[in-house]
Amino acid sequence: MAQHYLEVWGDTVDSRHLIGSIGLGIGIAVPIYLLADWGFDVLTGGDVLAHSYALVAGLGACVLAAVVAARLFKPKRIIQIGTAHRGSREAAMDAIEEEMGLLGNPDELSPSALAEVKELGLYEDLRAQHEKNQRNAAKAEAQ
Amino acid sequence: MEGFLEPALWALGMAVIGAVVFGLLGLVSGTDETATIAPLTLLVILVGVPPEGVFAFFMAAISAKHITHAIPTTLLGIPGDTMAAPLLRDAQMLRELGVPHIALRKAISGGAVAAVIAVPMAVFFAWVITPFSGQIGAVAPWLFFAAAGLIAVLSKGRWAALIALLPFVLIVVGLQNFAIDALGKGLSISFFLGIAIGPLIADLFLAASPAGRATLKRDAPRTFELAADVRTWKGRMPNPLRVLDRAQLGSTAGAAVVSSATFVFSPVAMTVMMGELFGRRIKNGYQRLTTMMAVKNGTTESTYIAETLIPLIAIGLPLSPMAAGPANPLFNAPPVFTLNAETGATNNLHDMLDPWQFLVIGLAAVLIGLVITYPFAMTQAHRAASWIMRKVSHEAIIGAFAGLIAVICLYEGGIIALFVAITIGLVGGLLNKIFSMHTGVQFMGYYVAVLTVPAITALFAG
Repeated sequence: MAQHYLEVWGDTVDSRHLIGSIGLGIGIAVPIYLLADWGFDVLTGGDVLAHSYALVAGLGACVLAAVVAARLFKPKRIIQIGTAHRGSREAAMDAIEEEMGLLGNPDELSPSALAEVKELGLYEDLRAQHEKNQRNAAKAEAQ
Repeated sequence: MEGFLEPALWALGMAVIGAVVFGLLGLVSGTDETATIAPLTLLVILVGVPPEGVFAFFMAAISAKHITHAIPTTLLGIPGDTMAAPLLRDAQMLRELGVPHIALRKAISGGAVAAVIAVPMAVFFAWVITPFSGQIGAVAPWLFFAAAGLIAVLSKGRWAALIALLPFVLIVVGLQNFAIDALGKGLSISFFLGIAIGPLIADLFLAASPAGRATLKRDAPRTFELAADVRTWKGRMPNPLRVLDRAQLGSTAGAAVVSSATFVFSPVAMTVMMGELFGRRIKNGYQRLTTMMAVKNGTTESTYIAETLIPLIAIGLPLSPMAAGPANPLFNAPPVFTLNAETGATNNLHDMLDPWQFLVIGLAAVLIGLVITYPFAMTQAHRAASWIMRKVSHEAIIGAFAGLIAVICLYEGGIIALFVAITIGLVGGLLNKIFSMHTGVQFMGYYVAVLTVPAITALFAG
């Protein structure tokens, strides 16, 4: 059976699992809070702070509900661990330059930035890209 | 000595808790600041933590979250929270170049530098405007009115958001009168929570209706691509001052100072503007992208810090988008912190702490937030992001929030408060989704309803 997903609050969920989780959240937290509110009230003889202690108990219950829900319902996400250079870097550079303008000549970088680029193994590619752009510009001018 | 030691220990302990909790929450993509920081700060206040502890918790929380939010933003290509959105495109480009770890290192180093600069700058600017706080307080109802309009027009909703303020404010007034009738007191926390999680409530209603469901349906789970783990430095820990070169340090510091002074503007807008101001003129593309990461993430820290500190120290009224949003409980969390709607009188952190305490505790809390999250983000980013994505389902997070909202509303005003929160959340969430009237505008709408509307009524009655 094909599973259906819903996009709620920025990520995909399964609707039955979502109902289950909300049920757990409210079903665990609210009774514990109400019970704690009543219990602390009796124990402290009506201290104002009793109400606040109950709130802490309620928060603890929410965390508990989240742990239970996370154990019952697994995430609906596909995670791919990216390889460092998927596709060619040249294609990526072309796309970036189209959006934001030329990446420029790496030799014009400040000494520290130049060292950084070299350490990252970006220097050769940036330089090749720059030279390609210069050739293209020269060609365009010649025509 | 006793009198000094106890608050100091509270501040220290709460700062550590704030940093750890929000450092972890920063890893969970899409955890909006207002929706997470405001409720938990409220909780800390309501359980009776002393003012020093509350303030330290908050400052450590915001500085920590805006360090770790860079992890999903740079490694997964999805914004960690609302403030991470302006960084996203630059981060994606660096990811496409195969250097997402550089994007992360520049972003968190910029954040660390800016956060440390922003605290003293904000205290200084607060000191500059303090002499005028009396006048500001006297015209506060009208300032909120003007600020609400301004924030609305500057939001993505533009004029629709401005005009939608009218029905929104009237709904708040109506619900407030309903609550006063039923409970004998007005509500505030329930309104904030409803507004903060409005987008979630709207999505849940859509999911429950067959017609709305169709718009949310997806055929496959979302795919996330986690960048490979690369470690390029030698030794234990890179120093933030050495990760950035001199020009980037200068730009980051400059953006931190400018964005600290302009505390009335929206933090997201400032982040975009600072990126433009300090990044646009850099000719080299690589240098521009990496500088953008540092400057923009730095601005996410400095705007949050300054927009909290300046109104808190100088005025005591939540007169900035930040103060009206995530920092709201610091100004108004009845019965502990209160604002009097008619007189503008305050009894909140503004009255409980001195400027030197704001400076010392603020700086200490921010440093604690950074010391806990910066090394973590540098060394454990990949492992942490992967663990969260694999183990913590989105359902579990939504369920926990549903429980939290229910408990806090019941605490404030029983079932009536819960109904109010759901009502305002549904209305606000739909206004947000359809007209881009974001939560900041709605928070201002709430203040117009409780501060300006009585002033207008008084004007006509008089």
